[in-house]
Amino acid sequence: MVKSSSLRTILLSPRGGISAIVLLVVMICAVFAPLIAPYAYDIQSLRDANLNPSWKNWMGTDEFGRDLLSRMIYGARTSLSVALTAISISVAIGMSLGATAAYFGGAFDRLVTAAVDLTWSFPEILIALILIAIIGPGLNSTMIAISIAYLAQFTRLTRVQIMALKSETYVEATRSLGAGHAHIIFRHLLPNALTPVIVAGMLATGDAIILEATLGFFGLGAQPPTPSWGAMMSSGTAQIFIAPWIIIFPGLAIAITVIAINLFGDAVIDVLDIRRQLRDS
Amino acid sequence: MRYTAKAMLLSGSALLSAGLLSLAPSASAMAQEAIFVMPARDVGAPSYNPILGTRLNAATTLIFDRMVIQDADQSFHGQLATSWETSADGLTWTFKLRPNVKFHDGEPFNAATIVWWLPKFLGTENAFMTDAIDKVDVIDNLTVKFTMKNPDPNMLFNMASSFMGIPSPKSFDQLGDKFGVTGAVGTGPFKLESFVVGQQTVLVRNEAYNSASDLSVNQGPAKLKKITLREIAEDSTAFLELKTGGVDMLLSVPTDFLPRLSSEKGTKVVTLPGTEVYYVAINTSVEPFTDIKVREAMAFAINQKEILASLFGGVGEEAHTFLISGLAEAKVDPKLLIAYDPARSRKALDEAGWVMSSDGVRAKAGTRLQVKLWTQSGTEFKRITEVVQAQLKAVGIGTDITAFDAATITAQYRKKTEHQLAVRVYSWANADILDWFFAGKRAGHPNHSMWVNATSEALNEKAMKGSRTWDERVANFRAYHENLLSQFVFAPIYQPVQNFAYSQARITMPATVRGTRLQSQTIVDIEKK
Repeated sequence: MVKSSSLRTILLSPRGGISAIVLLVVMICAVFAPLIAPYAYDIQSLRDANLNPSWKNWMGTDEFGRDLLSRMIYGARTSLSVALTAISISVAIGMSLGATAAYFGGAFDRLVTAAVDLTWSFPEILIALILIAIIGPGLNSTMIAISIAYLAQFTRLTRVQIMALKSETYVEATRSLGAGHAHIIFRHLLPNALTPVIVAGMLATGDAIILEATLGFFGLGAQPPTPSWGAMMSSGTAQIFIAPWIIIFPGLAIAITVIAINLFGDAVIDVLDIRRQLRDS
Repeated sequence: MRYTAKAMLLSGSALLSAGLLSLAPSASAMAQEAIFVMPARDVGAPSYNPILGTRLNAATTLIFDRMVIQDADQSFHGQLATSWETSADGLTWTFKLRPNVKFHDGEPFNAATIVWWLPKFLGTENAFMTDAIDKVDVIDNLTVKFTMKNPDPNMLFNMASSFMGIPSPKSFDQLGDKFGVTGAVGTGPFKLESFVVGQQTVLVRNEAYNSASDLSVNQGPAKLKKITLREIAEDSTAFLELKTGGVDMLLSVPTDFLPRLSSEKGTKVVTLPGTEVYYVAINTSVEPFTDIKVREAMAFAINQKEILASLFGGVGEEAHTFLISGLAEAKVDPKLLIAYDPARSRKALDEAGWVMSSDGVRAKAGTRLQVKLWTQSGTEFKRITEVVQAQLKAVGIGTDITAFDAATITAQYRKKTEHQLAVRVYSWANADILDWFFAGKRAGHPNHSMWVNATSEALNEKAMKGSRTWDERVANFRAYHENLLSQFVFAPIYQPVQNFAYSQARITMPATVRGTRLQSQTIVDIEKK
């Protein structure tokens, strides 16, 4: 795990520090949206549609007269919660699958490896679109689709880590002392394989935000009036010549958040020196 | 090494460019080729089979001619028929057919074609248009006589419908189920070259065309040699294509694009009277809309005035009935008009026992008044639906929006009980659209309201089959329309005008657009500059 000295090194590095501040701001918006947002995100005022950015509406209004800043703040909540939840589910299931497959080997390992290789050969967006076509659009569906789309990545990474660790002397020693399989996997193997998986999860969160935005853009994610950055961009395309801010601000938010996540992830990788482990997976 | 790589890259690019240029058509070959964008509502129409199809797109009238066509002044003009007459009792119609007309496959068009064609409608979704015809007799090779079961004052309107495009009997029988998909053969000014559902249709000129009506200036083959009709669901994408020269004409332009398009140099916008009505279909077969009070509340919660003013800049009309306002059958008892009345809406919900909760959504016996609101992909649908959602919320009806692709939503409707409310649009200029959308036998699709009611059925039957004269038909359909309005089986929203836009730099339009829409009678006169 990341030690406090390593954390300090990350935060003191220029890219780590700046990206951490950006992410903190986005997270504060997401968590405290009802307190921060100046207006309700869903109250329409059609006579105030497509207003320019002003002191009253810092980011202007959308085609239904809703305050864009308020929708951006609530949109952060949607985008982050979907991405974080989906990746957390994906990491949890992927780690369990990868560790079990690597530890027990045999037919189960071959089955998991084949499934992972098969999934790995399709782009995440395609997997997500197929899944949403089956289970229907909506936020929960988006979460499920993203978590399944990224499952292969974490299963594969964990499996590689456990394969290397399971023949270590301390594992043999624990087994000879009579420890059970679950004890060995969850107490001794997974904690030692955790760091690269967590960092990969962090980087995947950026991709998941883009995937959520893409699905939202196609109208498959959050359904109106719930704001999500992708869906806001989608509705902004129709107003691009009348009110370009409707598409510009959510686009900037997605870009800045994803860049911040990637920069922070890079800083973590450099400080922990785990680039090789990630590459080998 | 770097220089070599760069040189190779440049040479490769030059070769590729040269290759691409050699493949590109020459300017003269391109001269009479045009690219149009279909109306967004036509995107995903699955077939060009006029007999079996229930959704036909804007290219249909270019492939198939009809017996007659209708002008904007509601007058009828011969296309495949040159003249017609009806008996005093309305029980026979005699049509003289145009001589020397051939289908695209070389087969002749004559009286035998009509005898083969009309019975094909039996048992189809479109049978209502030919229901009144008992039998067809050949008088001579170019004359047919229809003997009617009952007088049908709507005969000529039906014959002018795009569903009455006449296909080649030989090709129709040869292709079977694939007719309209892999091939479509008519006598129209253009032949179908290729068709990919949801993407595009390519038409090439019928060089032997000789059946233009007197509405067209050009009485011979069309001036355009080839037309590609692209299907683009997003209006903004279509607009950008016109702006950047990717296409020559948009066959439909949303009203909110009008200011922008009008200010574009070299783009001309043409406006025609509307034939469309946006409305919300209310599924009367599922809770909570089995209760007429909830339907009433839903219908009176829609603020048509606000939608017209804010979403459409005041262009078009508020819709307060199911029919376009120009029809006589739309002139109903004013007490039955459905116009925004939030007080009446709230009162109806109170009377139905739905009590307002703290979250702004009403509830009754622990059940929230939260319903499904379906819509289709496309800018106008999405915008109207979001406003409807907010207006319903204002009276305490919560909605969950689901947007479906235009091509898949029909299958969802056919499940009958999956939807509760659905934002829809139709384009039709005749009161028999009431039969289409509300007859019990079509419950599910296209009767999305799932309205099956004995009184309504009787009124519909009388309007469809019991009208001897046009005035009687108007009165009967008005009664049926009033019955439907009184039962709140839909909520009317908006009646747009028809707009289309073209590049003046690339297209020459005839001085007058003839007909109720931009169809074959005008398109044969369009030229590429």
